[in-house]
Amino acid sequence: MKFLIIVKATNESEAGAKPDPGMWDAMGKFNEELIKAGIMKEAAGLKPSSKGKRVTFSGKNRTVVDGPFTETKELIAGFWIWECKSMDEAVEWVKKCPNPMQGESDIEIRPFHEMEDLAELITPEQFAKLEERRAALAARN
Amino acid sequence: MKFMVIVKATKESEAGQMPSTELLTAMGNYNEELVKAGIMRDGAGLHPSSKGARVRFSGKNRSVIDGPFSETKELIAGYWIWECKSLAEAIEWVKKCPNPMEGESDIEIRQFFEMEDFGEAMTPELREQEQRLLAEAAKGKK
Repeated sequence: MKFLIIVKATNESEAGAKPDPGMWDAMGKFNEELIKAGIMKEAAGLKPSSKGKRVTFSGKNRTVVDGPFTETKELIAGFWIWECKSMDEAVEWVKKCPNPMQGESDIEIRPFHEMEDLAELITPEQFAKLEERRAALAARN
Repeated sequence: MKFMVIVKATKESEAGQMPSTELLTAMGNYNEELVKAGIMRDGAGLHPSSKGARVRFSGKNRSVIDGPFSETKELIAGYWIWECKSLAEAIEWVKKCPNPMEGESDIEIRQFFEMEDFGEAMTPELREQEQRLLAEAAKGKK
């Protein structure tokens, strides 16, 4: 099962605070463990929402809204993509993570829709095309 | 520049309402364009937050909170990772996207931190570690 592991933003991350060197080293070690365990697929930190934008879709309209966005605790500061056997395994790994922020913080764990979920929703032709695209992407990566 | 393009959740997506065949078709065509343009790196749809969990970090404590989470409009329903020349290019591509939800919806565009953003805090040793880890993670990718 694949999971998106979301590091939620804090006032400090939104203000562009530099990471604490001790935390940075601890996170490096944690990432090493994730890779050794074969769990980590991707990871990145995101710039504060002040450098981001939103596009609102309403009927035919597309409105661009500049960051920063106000609901700090619901924003994303970074993420991983992990391949785990179960939600329980993902939770256990998150518990081992160093606190990514100076103060209190949240990490959210969300399972991916898998191909078999989609197989029930789309036509066999659409499914074949999807598999083609995924193969093309995998080849490029 | 790399971007995370975030499809924000709606009441419908959180209720587990799945997209129509029509929307899936439009989104499939759009994804074809992204792949052809060499922009798309990754993408996925997520199960509603009722199937998710949160871990809260406070000092030495780690507490697990089960979903669903209440602030629906701030949750994530899906995402892409794109490589674009600029934020402006990413915005233009988002504008071409079919509305991913039945009603009104938002897509958020967030830029990745690159190595140079960390300045001197990113020592040569840490940089070397980061590059090695990314290379190893890429090997593990399917």
